[in-house]
Amino acid sequence: MIGDLGGALAHIFTPLPFFYVFLGTVLGIVVGAIPGLSGAMLIALTLPLTFYMEPVNAIVLLVAMYVGSITGGLITATLLRMPGTPSNVVTTFDGHPLAMSGRPGRALGLGIAASFVGGIVSWIVLLLLAKPLSIWATRFGPFEYFTLILMAMVLIASVSQGSMVKGLIAGFLGMLVSMPGVDPSAGQPRLTWDWYVLNGGLKLLPVLIGIFAVSQIIGDIVSIGKKIDRIDANLSGMLMSFRDWRRQAFNMLRSSVIGTWVGILPGIGASIGSIMAYTVAKNMSRAPEEYGKGSEEGIVASEAANNATVGGALIPLISMGIPGSVIDAILIGALMIHSIQPGPTLFLTNADVVWAMIAACLVANVIMLIVMMGSVKVVSQVMYVPRTFLLPVILVFCIIGAFALDNTMFDVWVMLGFGVLGFAMERAGFPLGPFVIGFVLAPLMEEKLRSGLMMTAGSIEPIFTRPLPLLFLSIAVILLIAPFIRAWRQSRIARSGNAPGLNSGEGDSTR
Amino acid sequence: MDLQGSPRWELGVAIFFVAACSVVLWETRDIPPGTFEPLGSAPVPQATAVFIMMLSIAVGISAVRRLRVSGGPADAADYKPRPLDAVVVAALTVGYVMLLDARVLDFAPLTAIFLFIVISLLARFKLSAMAGAAVVGVITGWGAQYAFTRIFVVDLPGL
Repeated sequence: MIGDLGGALAHIFTPLPFFYVFLGTVLGIVVGAIPGLSGAMLIALTLPLTFYMEPVNAIVLLVAMYVGSITGGLITATLLRMPGTPSNVVTTFDGHPLAMSGRPGRALGLGIAASFVGGIVSWIVLLLLAKPLSIWATRFGPFEYFTLILMAMVLIASVSQGSMVKGLIAGFLGMLVSMPGVDPSAGQPRLTWDWYVLNGGLKLLPVLIGIFAVSQIIGDIVSIGKKIDRIDANLSGMLMSFRDWRRQAFNMLRSSVIGTWVGILPGIGASIGSIMAYTVAKNMSRAPEEYGKGSEEGIVASEAANNATVGGALIPLISMGIPGSVIDAILIGALMIHSIQPGPTLFLTNADVVWAMIAACLVANVIMLIVMMGSVKVVSQVMYVPRTFLLPVILVFCIIGAFALDNTMFDVWVMLGFGVLGFAMERAGFPLGPFVIGFVLAPLMEEKLRSGLMMTAGSIEPIFTRPLPLLFLSIAVILLIAPFIRAWRQSRIARSGNAPGLNSGEGDSTR
Repeated sequence: MDLQGSPRWELGVAIFFVAACSVVLWETRDIPPGTFEPLGSAPVPQATAVFIMMLSIAVGISAVRRLRVSGGPADAADYKPRPLDAVVVAALTVGYVMLLDARVLDFAPLTAIFLFIVISLLARFKLSAMAGAAVVGVITGWGAQYAFTRIFVVDLPGL
């Protein structure tokens, strides 16, 4: 392991890969700092530019962008109370009040340090877990894989923002959209409407660019009249003292572990990680009343956790080919575009790519710390780039990106169509994350189900007789019914609370 | 973005999903059953479409109830939304892509014109912004054409 990692680090520190890691981290920070743009958008738009790159260089560039974009959102969250990316929403609760109290440098310094620690802790877990987990996953049969993906899909829907039903619809819709074309198991065309361009199915890249970038552009144009107030950022006091480090050490570590764990769970992004870490930090704090008013602990918890999800989310991607977040789903697409099959055998077939990803994650975190500490004042000015100019230019790049995949205008039309669909879904409160993850995972899920059924002559008995499929299925069922049971219990409590006599303590006397 | 979603949008999207899934079910009715494997090509898309339809109907019913109760949520935005601008930009984009497809003009001049019009529109045709729009259009049009065809070796639409 040490030898492989050393080799990958030595490669990363050669001029071209290092340039890509540096460029990716800086671009990620800049895009993360611009309200309305996200890491997913940046990575989806960069994908076409990587077609002619060496796969290792392409992947390290994208991983660096991933690390940078999660951190960049901290700046706008703190200075403007506008999260640059969704994962920084929780940072606004305390980062902005602390900045408004005259200590923006302190708020940013805490956030940057916590982001770095979160990134490093999750990187250590990634390093230690990815290979053993992938070895374990090579023993999975088709039914293990099928039920694991099923569990992942339910998990994504159950924790997605908004309602679970909408999360499920979005996930199923993503699955359905992946199905047109020649069915890979039987060679039978389906859902093509006798239209030859659909024989190859809908490609990941136009769908991704449409659903993330174009829908975002449409939404940003609708809200383009929103004013961004300029504030003078006094950035003194950014460096943490030894006393600060000692005081925040446990909080940082705990939040990093929470973030890493949430990242490992398939399909759950950085937003949930930061919310969970923030809630735990508040519940265990000696000064919970400070939370929401500029609590330093709150900033640290949120930022350590959201950065920790990056390394955590790379673990299921590398070891099982299952995306830990939306950006990981795009990274899976990037691997496939470069003819690399994600999955448990990745360590055997493309060990150089895997170790480069792991090494890039570490180097990008270090670069992130240096760049953020050294140039946060400059980066913070990026927030004020006029969107009037920015959005149309990005739209042109979306069109180039979709076209460049196969040099067909059909992909451009697909991208525009999914842009409109994504905008409508967001307006109606449907989360887009489950859609993308469903789109990426459905072909694998169907293939595993059908190959499993072929092995057993159509019997699904192994799902109920083998321990792992049964475990995964049970978790999926529990996750599916838990919200309904919770809602039913709450309504019962509400009803019994409203019943006469019970509130006045008479209930005790009747027992 | 409102996480619960506007009930009108919810209802519209739910109806669209039900209609789209009905089309999927109709299209898959003639797919023959599998010959060498038990499941065949049709059941998975059919089952997925049925799930979406059922859940969409539930969302649609809930949206109708919310509409009846509240008549739709009031827009609490602290700015004036510009939906018409989004519609016009979408129409202009469709026109731009059609012209690229028809190869009426090269990528660079067409992109410069498109960006000039769209940026000017978003800036409400302020003269200072229009000058900037022209500059951005020219730089992006010819700059992207040079960068993509000469440096990244990527084909561009319209060329």
